Amino acid sequence: MLNMNNISRIYQSDTIQTHALRDFSLKVNEGEFVAVTGPSGSGKSTFLNVAGLLDNFDRGQYELDGVSVQGLKDDELSRLRNEKIGFIFQNYNLIPDYSIFDNVDMPLRYRGFSASERKRRVEQALEKVGLASRLKYLPSQLSGGQQQRVAIARALAGEPKILLADEPTGNLDSLMARQVMEILHDLNKDGATIIMVTHDPDQAREVNRNVQVIDGQLADFKIYAPLDRTAENKGKTVSAAVSADVAEEMADA
Amino acid sequence: MPSNSMFVYNLTLAMQSFRRAPTLYFLIILTLSIGVGVLCANLALVNSMASDPIPEKSANLFHINMNTWPDDQPPDEPMHILRYRDAMAIAESKLTKGSAIFYASGVYARDAESSSMKRFDSEVRATTPGFFELTNAPFAFGSAFEKSRGMEIVIGDELNKKIFAGKNSVGKTLELDGELLTIVGVLKPWVLRPLFYHPTEGRAFNLTDDIFAPLETAIDLGWSIHARSSSAVNYTGIEETRDKDVYYLQAWVELADMNQKSALQSYLDNYSQQLKDAGEHPLAIKNELHNVNEWLKVNKVVDQKVLAFTLASVLFLSVCIFNASSLLLPRFHAAKFEVGLRRAIGASNRHMLVQGLTESVLLGLFTGVVALVLSWLFLKLSVQFLPRLTNLAVLEPKLLVLGMLLALVTSIASSLYPLYRANYYTISAELK
Repeated sequence: MLNMNNISRIYQSDTIQTHALRDFSLKVNEGEFVAVTGPSGSGKSTFLNVAGLLDNFDRGQYELDGVSVQGLKDDELSRLRNEKIGFIFQNYNLIPDYSIFDNVDMPLRYRGFSASERKRRVEQALEKVGLASRLKYLPSQLSGGQQQRVAIARALAGEPKILLADEPTGNLDSLMARQVMEILHDLNKDGATIIMVTHDPDQAREVNRNVQVIDGQLADFKIYAPLDRTAENKGKTVSAAVSADVAEEMADA
Repeated sequence: MPSNSMFVYNLTLAMQSFRRAPTLYFLIILTLSIGVGVLCANLALVNSMASDPIPEKSANLFHINMNTWPDDQPPDEPMHILRYRDAMAIAESKLTKGSAIFYASGVYARDAESSSMKRFDSEVRATTPGFFELTNAPFAFGSAFEKSRGMEIVIGDELNKKIFAGKNSVGKTLELDGELLTIVGVLKPWVLRPLFYHPTEGRAFNLTDDIFAPLETAIDLGWSIHARSSSAVNYTGIEETRDKDVYYLQAWVELADMNQKSALQSYLDNYSQQLKDAGEHPLAIKNELHNVNEWLKVNKVVDQKVLAFTLASVLFLSVCIFNASSLLLPRFHAAKFEVGLRRAIGASNRHMLVQGLTESVLLGLFTGVVALVLSWLFLKLSVQFLPRLTNLAVLEPKLLVLGMLLALVTSIASSLYPLYRANYYTISAELK
């Protein structure tokens, strides 16, 4: 689904050259739920921006769903973003004076769908996040968790190949964060490929795979082992569900 | 927003943008409107001054200046007014397709059959009959008089409205300074801007005349000259001028083609030479033929002050564009988040550019409407202060179109830089 090989991203100012990503390689398969963790300034967001085609890279190869993105023109990159990627931001990034419907409808506008098709998709996406009854609300009339669910619906409406989430629960309290994470897990169970940048070790442990970014590179060790999300563990808090293996691994780290 | 069309979507976004900052957009529209309005008002004046009043034949109509002054203190240039016998020599030449010999006069007019004694101060053009065909004068009723002598007249639309309420007055009689003359023709509303057949003495923007009378009759009736005249002799009335050195008639000819121009020039030069040989004048042979537009240029019909003010208003508009751009800059800067978001979810640079331009075009349309209203007000105000502009201060349909185009261009020009700045940032810079 996503294949990055030796990606480098260098920010150049007058006096300083910052290597945000250096020879960064990562392969994410279809249906995976990958958590990207790492300290602040390690390059997580740069990785997500490059992965989401929001930022360029200086060296390396990047293939998204079989399409090599090097040398693509702005129109082609925009179409790839629109068709293959769904973004979920920490700050939700909803337009405050648009209704929930119009916010979710936005990416579909650029796809050229008919009005009826857009309506169907918007309603379906809002149904998935439990907000089908709030079509006409403004974002300010919803709680933070609900706003993030609207943002998820916006990401889902275009039926993308991959969801990129940048600390999607960073601004939410624990209860709302739990709701959002459950939605993401449900989507993943239904086959969605998700890459999520997070600072939360509990969330990192919940997913299939956790990758650690340090100094713009993938770390060659694991801090957080995956959590066993089997039936008997479901509903428990992440801490309570941590397996002995994970505890051991954490102790080693 | 159920529509399928991106155009309608972009229009809706533009309207939302206006609603978000109505005061700011009001200021922008006002700024651009004042600039466009002032320029449009000036262009309306220049357009009236510089337009060709008779484009279908302006290249073939020639005003004649001659140099036949009888003493040795001649004017610097050939005179635009001619003696009766010189003018008649032109009218009688077989070299022209048509001609008009005339002078300007004035009478008091009243309906001879009316019990009212109210008289109307009326401008008179005393002319040979060829005037009407030469100038393409438009007739509403009746036709031109056929001879240069006869108690018949043609009247203009304004006078017909004043005296006969605009009805067909052919056959009616007017009392003109105590003489009874019968109306044989009534003109339609006739606006010549400039009044090409008489642009001298600052009359280029006068209205067309109220009464057109046969030349010989006007002379016989002693209707005085209401324009420039020069004489090398004493005389007591115009009726004495036919065989005297009194210069007051203007001559226009219509030529079928340019070959006739050189033939006519030779004819005039030979005529002057004959006079000189006969000792009637001592001057160098210098006769001039000017077509309509050349004649208007010779008479400096386009006011240089208005041209200078138009140039100043172009500069003023540039300042308005700069100001509007400065006002738009923070607005577009504030929209960076939305631009970044739209780009992230799939809008291309082209989409954003079209969205921005749609907003600019809509802004331009609003600006255009306000600008044209302001332009009209500026012209009305100008006429209040400078009444001589009355016949000039007209917003013709082409000026309305030009005003709208100017508003669109200035609106787009003022938003180009803010638009560039709003789309200049890396998409991710505004999103977290």
